[in-house]
Amino acid sequence: MNDANRSVAAAEDSEEPTTGEYNLRLYVAGQTPKSLAAIANLKNLCEKHLSGRYTIEVVDLLVTPQLAAGDQIVALPTLVRRLPPPLKRVIGDLSNTERVLVGLDIRPKLASTT
Amino acid sequence: MNRQPDFAAADHAQLVELRDRLREAEETLEAIRNGEVDAVVVGGPAGQQVYTLENADRPYRVLIEQMQEGAVTLSEHGLMLYCNQRFATLVGAERESLIGEPIERFVVSTETSAFHRLMDSGRGARRSAEFMLQAADGSRVPVNVSIADLKVDAQMPRVLCGVVTDLTHSRERSHELAAANMQLASEIDERRRAEDGLQLALDAADMGNWELNLVNDVVTRSARYDQIFGYTAGERTWEWPTMLSQFLPDDREAVDVEFARAKRTGFIDFERRIRRVSDEAIRWVQIKGRTYYQDGKPVRIAGVISDVTDRRHVEEQLRQAQKMEAIGQLTGGIAHDFNNLLMVVGGSLDMLDQRIEKDEKTARYLAAARQGVERGARLNQQLLAFSRRQDLRVEAVCIEDLIGTFENLLDRAVGETITVHIERAPELWYCRTDPHQLETAILNLAINARDAMPQGGAITLRTRILQLDAQGAATSGAAAGDYVVVSLSDTGMGMPPDVVDRVFEPFFTTKDVGKGTGLGLSQVYGFARQSGGFVNIESQPGSGTTVFIHLPRTARPVAVETATHSTAEIKGKGVVLVVEDDNDVRAVASSLLENLGYSVLEAETGSDAMRLIERGGRIDLIFTDVIMPGDMNGIDLVRELKARHATIPVLLTSGYTAQRIASEELVKDLQLLRKPYNQVELSLAVRMVMNDRA
Repeated sequence: MNDANRSVAAAEDSEEPTTGEYNLRLYVAGQTPKSLAAIANLKNLCEKHLSGRYTIEVVDLLVTPQLAAGDQIVALPTLVRRLPPPLKRVIGDLSNTERVLVGLDIRPKLASTT
Repeated sequence: MNRQPDFAAADHAQLVELRDRLREAEETLEAIRNGEVDAVVVGGPAGQQVYTLENADRPYRVLIEQMQEGAVTLSEHGLMLYCNQRFATLVGAERESLIGEPIERFVVSTETSAFHRLMDSGRGARRSAEFMLQAADGSRVPVNVSIADLKVDAQMPRVLCGVVTDLTHSRERSHELAAANMQLASEIDERRRAEDGLQLALDAADMGNWELNLVNDVVTRSARYDQIFGYTAGERTWEWPTMLSQFLPDDREAVDVEFARAKRTGFIDFERRIRRVSDEAIRWVQIKGRTYYQDGKPVRIAGVISDVTDRRHVEEQLRQAQKMEAIGQLTGGIAHDFNNLLMVVGGSLDMLDQRIEKDEKTARYLAAARQGVERGARLNQQLLAFSRRQDLRVEAVCIEDLIGTFENLLDRAVGETITVHIERAPELWYCRTDPHQLETAILNLAINARDAMPQGGAITLRTRILQLDAQGAATSGAAAGDYVVVSLSDTGMGMPPDVVDRVFEPFFTTKDVGKGTGLGLSQVYGFARQSGGFVNIESQPGSGTTVFIHLPRTARPVAVETATHSTAEIKGKGVVLVVEDDNDVRAVASSLLENLGYSVLEAETGSDAMRLIERGGRIDLIFTDVIMPGDMNGIDLVRELKARHATIPVLLTSGYTAQRIASEELVKDLQLLRKPYNQVELSLAVRMVMNDRA
């Protein structure tokens, strides 16, 4: 057990945190080109960086527009990280992998804005 | 990191959160500005609504544009509002020229009313039907049209959407399928005809067929297969162990081995015995077949089966007949040489008899020796009888006339403990045979019958007539026709089949050593064959034996020539030429002739004899052996003489007086003296020939 804990701690120091499940929700608007691209990009990215520890929920706001209020969605597609907290948001078709990884806090930001 | 340690922890957290929210807001604006989104959520009186940006429905458009079905939207009256490229291609027109055109233009005239009904019927319901489209160039395309009401907005006028599917390919497939079906049907028909033909062939060959499935061991059989095994129709299916169990226990292992081998070699062909269920009979069956493989593994063995019992039976008879023929050849040859030996011994005894002084003892020795020669000669006669080389004096004989003789013979042969029954024939049947040989045959049979009944019993002699057809004749090795059958039955111990098979072989005997020669039945066999008939035998242990002598029936009684026998020698005068290849026999014959008063010339071969005759000296009689080595035998010599010196009389002699000699026209009226002969017989024969010619 001790050995296992140590190795987990060591992993936390590296760029990819290994603890916790990622619960992601992708808001889309039917089958618009950006929505279709976002679904494909997200699936690809998660398999690469979060293999085995993520769940994706795709919400089509054309079918259920009332769900937009909950996560304060203004534009589509939008990806929301619901778990682990805090809530994070990434807007767009998710084609810029680097930006998504940072936005989801999977990879720490290299330079501070302040 | 923490450059302002005096800040409260809560204030710091708030700052971080605010900063993050600001960043998010900036990123959202950035994304919208950069066109990274194509829909926005807008709040309204009816709650949240999603607006997609222009071109956001492009995937749907592409789907409709590129799909392999024609798609159209139609006004209520059938004007085309939109069509995709595929529809334009189907009707062979430019897309642009179609918008606003009535779709009816492309429906063949006979179907327009049906098309109207399709468009009108049941507002809102989905419906479809098949039509024939008429393309711009006049060609026709079979299609399925599926129509649905398109409801986008309550304010919009009624619009229909249609999906047009090209059925050309599927129709072609249907036609291909139909053609393939026809092909298949005709192949099945062909196959059935072939199977019928095969069945006909199998029936004609009296064969059944079978198939052993090696995967599940099940045996499939034809009706004839079951029939061969003695089952009636409708037997259950069975598996390999059942099939194997129908063979005799002694044969099962061999059958199993044959099938195991067939799996390796691909072929099977064997004959084994089965026990037929219906009558418990043992039958021989022949199984032939081949193995079928799948992926290199044997999966089934299939083939035919036939009952070959009868064929084997005939083969067995043929083998037996060939064996008897071979033994006949052998014994005939031995008997011939043996007769020459007896001739030398007997002749020498005759001469000794005349030359030495005889006291009582010497006379007895001589008599015993002569008796020995006579017995040897009789034995030899039986051997020759078997080998069919004896002299048959064939006459037309009525068996009825011989019954009296037979009765005497039987009474004398069998003794008092055995009763003799004679069943007389209802008619007077004549057959061609030698009555003396027939008597001997009956006597031989009677002796056998007596020996089979040491405790007494009964003998029955029967005469009947038998008509033999070609098939029956073939199995008996004789010609078809009427036969007079003389049979002799006893009530004795009978014989097992393996003994019955061999009884006609010379020297085969079941009697104690010294009690029988083993030649009795051989004589019967040979005599019957030589008469143009045959013999068969029925016997079973414990239920007696019957021997049937079949003699060819004849209608013409020929007058019987009776010869008188004299027992005293007759001396004579003249020059006799003795032609004989055996030196000892020649010497004996010359001495006997000299004793009788004749002058003798000798020749070793036919050619030597010819040279002597050509020299022109006096020759009153030529006494020649028939069978001689070299280029001229006795018959050849006679032929030469007839051509040049017809006046010189000839007397033939032979160790076996084969029928083949007698059959020659040339020698028909010649006298033949059978070896061994004694001085008396020689003198009578010489006398008769010389007198005839004189």
